Amino acid sequence: MNDILYQKFVKRWEEVTDIPPQKFGILTPYYKYIVGWVKSAPWLFLVCAAALTVVGLYYVLGPSVTYLVTLLQRGF
Amino acid sequence: MGAPDAMFVGSVDFLRSFIGIIRRPYETYRALSLRRNWWEIAHIALLLVFYFATASLVKTAAFRPYILTRQFLALASTAGATAILVSATLWIVGIRFFGGRGEYLAFARGWAYTLIPTVLWFWTTSILFVAIPPPRTASIQGLAFSILYLTFSAVLFYWKVMLSYLALRFGMKMDLRQIIQTVIVSSPVIALYGVVMYRFGVFKVPFI
Repeated sequence: MNDILYQKFVKRWEEVTDIPPQKFGILTPYYKYIVGWVKSAPWLFLVCAAALTVVGLYYVLGPSVTYLVTLLQRGF
Repeated sequence: MGAPDAMFVGSVDFLRSFIGIIRRPYETYRALSLRRNWWEIAHIALLLVFYFATASLVKTAAFRPYILTRQFLALASTAGATAILVSATLWIVGIRFFGGRGEYLAFARGWAYTLIPTVLWFWTTSILFVAIPPPRTASIQGLAFSILYLTFSAVLFYWKVMLSYLALRFGMKMDLRQIIQTVIVSSPVIALYGVVMYRFGVFKVPFI
């Protein structure tokens, strides 16, 4: 039992130390908070980011967003 | 493990990864970086082939085998070359200049999964091109469709960005600073290639 637990610990340890941790100085706690959300509920983050982008585009371009969509629809 | 067993395991791994990159991309990419089965990539290639067949029909709008085959081959060979060029450029820049490490093939396998949002967007766009052909107008229906379509496109774009980041993070063991530097240095090559493809009329939006 102890061996299994130890092996699990070693595997997890190797996973954690395999890639360098992200550090952003004083912003690190905020980064970790946001990434926690992205890891556990990625689609909530993706949809919110997309909605904000589209609102921003509409604010900048107004009804001309339809031209952008026309271009994109011909872009495949 | 024999070829049929490896193929079966590859199919199961592909399904798990496919669901995983939707539900839990971070954990899926961590697991993906440890696997060595190439059969799962064959399933991504099949998805691409399905899209190229659809796009050939939509683009040529003619049931002539010669034209369809020529269009299909142009799309498939260009997309294949693009995937290799983009992944190799990122790999070379990341390893040579910014301290990345690991194997190219492991990175390429992770990169192959980033093609799923791409093919999903291209496939949906080609279907919509037939179902609701452009141009869009500034009417209420046109605006509503435009906002929905842009939201859909932006969601897939951010999903693609997230998967690309994870492919670089786990495939080359880099941190965010190294990843941003690698992408900035690689961008001109990728952009130039996109312009060339546009000039040849193969892809107006780059199939990256």
